[in-house]
Amino acid sequence: MTAEPPTRRPPGVCIPWEEKRREMPAIRGDERLVEQVWKDVDALGYMYIWQILLSF
Amino acid sequence: MSAATETLYAQRLERYVTAMRNGKPDRVPIRPFVAELTAKYAGYTIQEVTQDYQKAFAAARKCAADFDWDAVVGNMVYGWAGLVQAIGLKYYASPGVELPPDTPFQYLEPPEDQAWMQPDDYDALAADPTGYLLNVWLPRVSTDVSPTGQPTSMRNNLSFLKGGMAMLQYFQGFGTQAARLRSESGTVSAICGILKAPLDILADKLRGYKGLCADLFRRPEKVLAACEALAPHLLEVAASGADPEKNVPIGLWMHRGCVPFLSPPQFEKFYWPTLRWIVEGLWARGHQTLFYAEGDWTASLRYFAELPERSIVFHVDRSDPLAAHRTLGDKFCISGGVPNDLLAFGTPEEVRACCKRLLDGVAREGGYIMDASAIMQDDTKIENLRAMTDFTREYGVY
Repeated sequence: MTAEPPTRRPPGVCIPWEEKRREMPAIRGDERLVEQVWKDVDALGYMYIWQILLSF
Repeated sequence: MSAATETLYAQRLERYVTAMRNGKPDRVPIRPFVAELTAKYAGYTIQEVTQDYQKAFAAARKCAADFDWDAVVGNMVYGWAGLVQAIGLKYYASPGVELPPDTPFQYLEPPEDQAWMQPDDYDALAADPTGYLLNVWLPRVSTDVSPTGQPTSMRNNLSFLKGGMAMLQYFQGFGTQAARLRSESGTVSAICGILKAPLDILADKLRGYKGLCADLFRRPEKVLAACEALAPHLLEVAASGADPEKNVPIGLWMHRGCVPFLSPPQFEKFYWPTLRWIVEGLWARGHQTLFYAEGDWTASLRYFAELPERSIVFHVDRSDPLAAHRTLGDKFCISGGVPNDLLAFGTPEEVRACCKRLLDGVAREGGYIMDASAIMQDDTKIENLRAMTDFTREYGVY
């Protein structure tokens, strides 16, 4: 195994920002901040399902 | 924290890390993986430490302080039953519920035709592992989660609310536990983060062992594709939970990749390539992996020897400790090797003799950590654990 195989949802992601961004109206302020917070909180969902699989 | 306790902690961390990097510390570190034994020692039932993690934490702290160990796991009683109940996980039997209060929890594996993952699901898993777990696997393993596309329910909604909050609370508890171990007894938290091999996850939680064994013959390419799809996610989860200071290793719980569960050719084809890729990826990020190698992995040692120097700690269960040392000792630290049946049924004198053989045969040049072969449940005799601890502290000085 030499390279990461392609998946629709990369590691650390449940709902990609690009998918979420399409649902949102125009962002009037700092879009990068909105994106970063979305990714940080989305990663908690990722942790939840994978930790159930691994740790419980 | 007192200055003396902080100094003690620093000495123990140095001792533990030096040994794990295959160096020679001042003496052999003692790092017992004690699970339900902590309940027995601290005066709790197994139900109490499995369901009430604060009692499990308290029991672990009491053992660490009383035995004066160098490092312990904050709670080795795997799988907190509170979260199991919150989500309604079907694959657990909990002490005091399905089992007597003094019986350790058990994993339940359904019959092949009712496996959590069906043979036809391989392509869906490989295409989108996270989506598969959320949409297909979780509703099957939970009594409360509604299948995707079917009506939701209060139970469904609560399983995520309670499950998410409870998991966060439990994991945050480990941070507090690590701080208390450090400040109250100067004890190091032994591991940080979790990893399993892709093939083990397929067997443990998805296809079941029997189903997976059939798949190795009936649909080997599907199994390989699933392992390759799982690997980047297992790497991500392991790295995200790893020690940010890069001192202590990630625990790798190796279940059924050794003989007789797999043949050596099956290990080479199915188990090792993706696991190796993950372990090397973690090492490239600076994280050691502790191979908690349940069973006898003697046939696989030569593969482990190919890993980068110091990238792993190899924990001996039923492998031959001397063979492990001969094959891996130049590159890696070895831990464990005191048989659990000896700790359960032997005498303190026999335990001391076993420890002497290990210290003379494996630990002479450093790179060894004293521990039992496997996680200690409630059958270990306290006097034997005391003998292992005291003898190592006296005889294991360099």
